[in-house]
Amino acid sequence: MSSRNDNVVVRSLAQIGACGLFLLTILAAIPRSFRHGRETVRQIWFVGAMSLTIVMTCGLFVGMVLGLQLYDVLSIFGGTSATGTVVAIAIYRELGPVVTALLFAGRAGTSVTAEIGLMRATDQLDAMEMMAVDPIAYVAAPRFLAGVVALPLLGLVFCAMGVFGGHLVGVTWLGIDNGTFWSNMTATVDIHKDIVNGVLLKSFAFGIVVSLIAVFQGYTTPPTSEGVAYATTRTVVASSIAILALDFVLTSFLI
Amino acid sequence: MTDDAIVRVRGLTTVLNGKTIFDSLDLDIPRGKVTAIMGPSGTGKTTLLKHITGQMRGDAGSVELDGLNVPELSREKLFELRERIGYLFQNSALLTDFDVFENVAFPLRQHTKLPEELIRNIVLNKLQAVGLRGAARLMPTELSGGMARRVALARAIVFDPALILYDEPFVGLDPIALNQVLLLIRTLNETLGITSVLVAHELAAVQKVADHVYLIANGKVVAQGDPATLANDGSPWTAQFFGGEADGPVPFQYPAGDYASALGFPGGKA
Repeated sequence: MSSRNDNVVVRSLAQIGACGLFLLTILAAIPRSFRHGRETVRQIWFVGAMSLTIVMTCGLFVGMVLGLQLYDVLSIFGGTSATGTVVAIAIYRELGPVVTALLFAGRAGTSVTAEIGLMRATDQLDAMEMMAVDPIAYVAAPRFLAGVVALPLLGLVFCAMGVFGGHLVGVTWLGIDNGTFWSNMTATVDIHKDIVNGVLLKSFAFGIVVSLIAVFQGYTTPPTSEGVAYATTRTVVASSIAILALDFVLTSFLI
Repeated sequence: MTDDAIVRVRGLTTVLNGKTIFDSLDLDIPRGKVTAIMGPSGTGKTTLLKHITGQMRGDAGSVELDGLNVPELSREKLFELRERIGYLFQNSALLTDFDVFENVAFPLRQHTKLPEELIRNIVLNKLQAVGLRGAARLMPTELSGGMARRVALARAIVFDPALILYDEPFVGLDPIALNQVLLLIRTLNETLGITSVLVAHELAAVQKVADHVYLIANGKVVAQGDPATLANDGSPWTAQFFGGEADGPVPFQYPAGDYASALGFPGGKA
C-alpha cells in the first residue's frame, strides 16, 4: 500500500516536472510561433470569444445570487446600502478570476486537450514534424498564448456581468437606491488592489496554469481514445486544484 | 547496387522496452528505384522508416541519408533534410481543420513566401497528378480512405522530394484504389525520378511496383532481391512469408514460458 502511495507521489511529481519542462519548451518556441500569428488569433477567437456566452451567463447569475444573499444578511444590520460594495469586492477579488478560470478550464481547456490529443492519435503532429513544421510552435504555443491573453479579458467580462447582476437584484428588484449602490462601490473599490491585482493579475496567472495543463495533457496523451478521454478529465481535475491552490497563494501575497 | 545508395543503414541496433527490434541491421536503398521493405507484423518496418527520417534514433549504428548521418543531425538540420523527404502515413494524417487544397498547400505556406497564384498552381498541379483536382474543396472527413491517401501523396510530393517513404500504402484499399496508388507510385518514380521506399505486406502489389525487396525478420535482413526471384528463392523465411504459412521461422506462438507450468501441471519446467 505504502509503495503504491509512493508511486502516486512520485508519478505526480514527475508529471509536474515534465509539465515545467514543457512550459520552458513552449516559452522557447514562442518567438517562432509569431510566424503563425493567424493561428494564434484563430485560437484566441476559439478559446476566448467562443467562451463569452458561458462566462457572461454565469457572471450574471453569480452577481444576482450574491446580491440576493448579501441583501438578506445586510438587512439584519440595516446595512443594505453596502450591498453593491460587497458584491463588487467579492467578485473582483475572488469569484471573478476563480470562477472564470474554472469555467475556462471546463469550456476551453478540455477542447484544447481533446483537439491536440486527437491530433496526436491521428498522427497529425507527426505529419507536421515530417513536413519540417515544429508542432510546439504551430500547435502548442498559439493555444497557450491564446489562453493567457483570453482569460484576463474573460475575467473582466465576468466581473462586469456580475456587478450588473448584483445591480439588477439589489436596485431593480429589492429597491436599494441607485446612487447609493454605485457611490458606495466606487468609494470602496480600489483600481489597483481590486481590479489590477484582483482580476487581471490572478486571471493572467490562472491563464498560464490552465493553458499549460490543457496543452500539456493533450500533447502527452497516449494515442488512444481512452488516453484522450483520461487526458481531458485530468485537464479539468488538475486545473481546478491548481486554480484554487494558486488562488490561496496569490491572495496571501496580494492582500 | 550499393554504389549509388540514397540511404545506407550500417550496424543499426535498436532495443525498445527490452525487445531487440534491430540487431546490427545493414541495408541500402538504391537511388531512383522503388524498394519494398517486407516482413512479419511487429518486425520494425515502420520503425525503420522512422529511423531514416530521424523521428527515432537507434542505440548503435548509423543511418546515412544522402551522406548525412541522420541520428547526429541537429533539429534544424533534420528539418532542412525533411523538406527533401516525402512521408506517406498509414492513416494519411491529413490536417482535419483544413480542406484538401489547404492540406496540400500547407508545406508551401509554412516554408515559402510564394505568391498565392503560384501556390494555387502548384497545388492544383499536384492534385491533378493524383486525380483529385476536383476534390480540392472537400474536407478530409468527406474523403474515402483511398482518396485521403492520394491527397496525402499530393502533399508529400508538393516540394518534389528526392525520397518518398510510404508506410503501408495499400492497407484497407479496394482493388481499384489499390491499383490507383500503385500506378501513382510507379509514375512518380519514373517521371520525377523520386526514390521510393514502401513498407507493405501485399506481395502481389509489391511484385507489380518494386524493383528491390528486403525481407526483415528478427532484427535482420533475412532475404533480399527482385520480387520475382525472391518469392521462389527457397529459403524458409521467404517460403513462410510469401506462402503465408502460420508457423515456421516466424513462430505462431509469441515467446512465453512453459505451457504446462503456466497451467499448474506438475512436472512442468519451472
